[in-house]
Amino acid sequence: MTGREGRSQGGAANGAAPAGFTPLDQAFDADSLYALRAAVAAHAAAAGLGRSQVYDVTAVAHELAANAVVHGAGHGRVRLWTDGDFLYCQVSDDGRDGFANQPSTSGDGAAPWPAEHGHGLWLARQVADHVGIGHGPSGTTATARFPLTPR
Amino acid sequence: MTANADVQVTELGAEDHACLTFGESEELFDLTAAFVRDGLSAGLKVVWLSDVGPGLAAGELGRRGVPVEPALAREQMTAAGWEGRLLTGQAFRASAAVGWLAGELESCGRQGFPGLRVALDMSWALRPVAGIEELPEFEEGIAAALDGSTAAVLCQYDRERFDPVTLASVGGFHTRAVAAATYHADALLRICRQYAPPGIRIAGELDFQAAEPLALALAEAVRLGGDITVNMSALAFIDARCTLLIADAARAAGSQSRVVTLRCQPEVAKGFARIGLAGLPGIRLVAAGDR
Repeated sequence: MTGREGRSQGGAANGAAPAGFTPLDQAFDADSLYALRAAVAAHAAAAGLGRSQVYDVTAVAHELAANAVVHGAGHGRVRLWTDGDFLYCQVSDDGRDGFANQPSTSGDGAAPWPAEHGHGLWLARQVADHVGIGHGPSGTTATARFPLTPR
Repeated sequence: MTANADVQVTELGAEDHACLTFGESEELFDLTAAFVRDGLSAGLKVVWLSDVGPGLAAGELGRRGVPVEPALAREQMTAAGWEGRLLTGQAFRASAAVGWLAGELESCGRQGFPGLRVALDMSWALRPVAGIEELPEFEEGIAAALDGSTAAVLCQYDRERFDPVTLASVGGFHTRAVAAATYHADALLRICRQYAPPGIRIAGELDFQAAEPLALALAEAVRLGGDITVNMSALAFIDARCTLLIADAARAAGSQSRVVTLRCQPEVAKGFARIGLAGLPGIRLVAAGDR
């Protein structure tokens, strides 16, 4: 993994997870995106996020997973964890081309609107605090970061 | 993905005895509003029997752009319950109910209206009512009463609550079957036409997998002309692809003379605002809670 926001980096347990929160690790494919959204929303709410932020995290998880479904292997895993300050949402695709047609940059250089192709990633970068994408031999991993305290 | 009804509610005319089936109250009120709106604007007398009551009925119709208070005040419209009309002391007799309809036809003529429209919410028949076995006889009686008249009757059946046998037993007496044109319907998502105000209604969760029926629904709404409402009040989730589809349709159709209204929850509205849809000429982005 060459990503800037690999799980080992972003997920360091240097802070306490919110009470009631349990990490999520769930497989998805084209037929289970609804279940993915429901699970992400439930876990994001348990992390203490408000209604609007829960929606944002859910939307980003969906867009990253949809990318893997449409442009990549067709399936993957979604993981959610916190380090006490941030909630991390990571979507990994065990195919090689999951986000291959997306620029491998961090959140600061969002693609200009309009850009239908890659619009999901554009949205993720607009909504999340930071999005990192890494390509490796085992596939592609996108990690979005959200502050646990309202900005 | 095509209209699943013989006829649209907006196409009903004199002598039509229509069987409307609906899946949720939102759909019932929408179709009723269109039926009432078209009747009032044609100068007809309109009667709506339900358990909603005149105040709530006026509210539901008003929310859909059909102000009925003036019509209620001048007795062009009646919104009333079933008791004393279809029911007597919670008992049903087909002959008495048909007699009530005949009386309405007569008084409508006496009042000088050129015709009558009657909407009958049939959910009373789901209650423990004596004489319910006369329901087919009632529907047959309506058909006879309408023959050669200037009236139309819209019988409203909840397709989720009435059993298929009952629906089949009364279906044959109707000359028309009416339902909302539906583009997609499953446990997670429903996309159907909205009749009052005209447009489409999307409820549930919408993502790229339903892009095709969404595009069809949008294209048909645009083709019908006039202002368009995309009612997403009951839409809990929309993805980027579908946000873009709706935004593109709104941008293309909205103009100074044609307003496209997007009605949605605040989280969904934020998505449209993010891609620059707020404040564009011809586009109204209304989040729940806004006026």
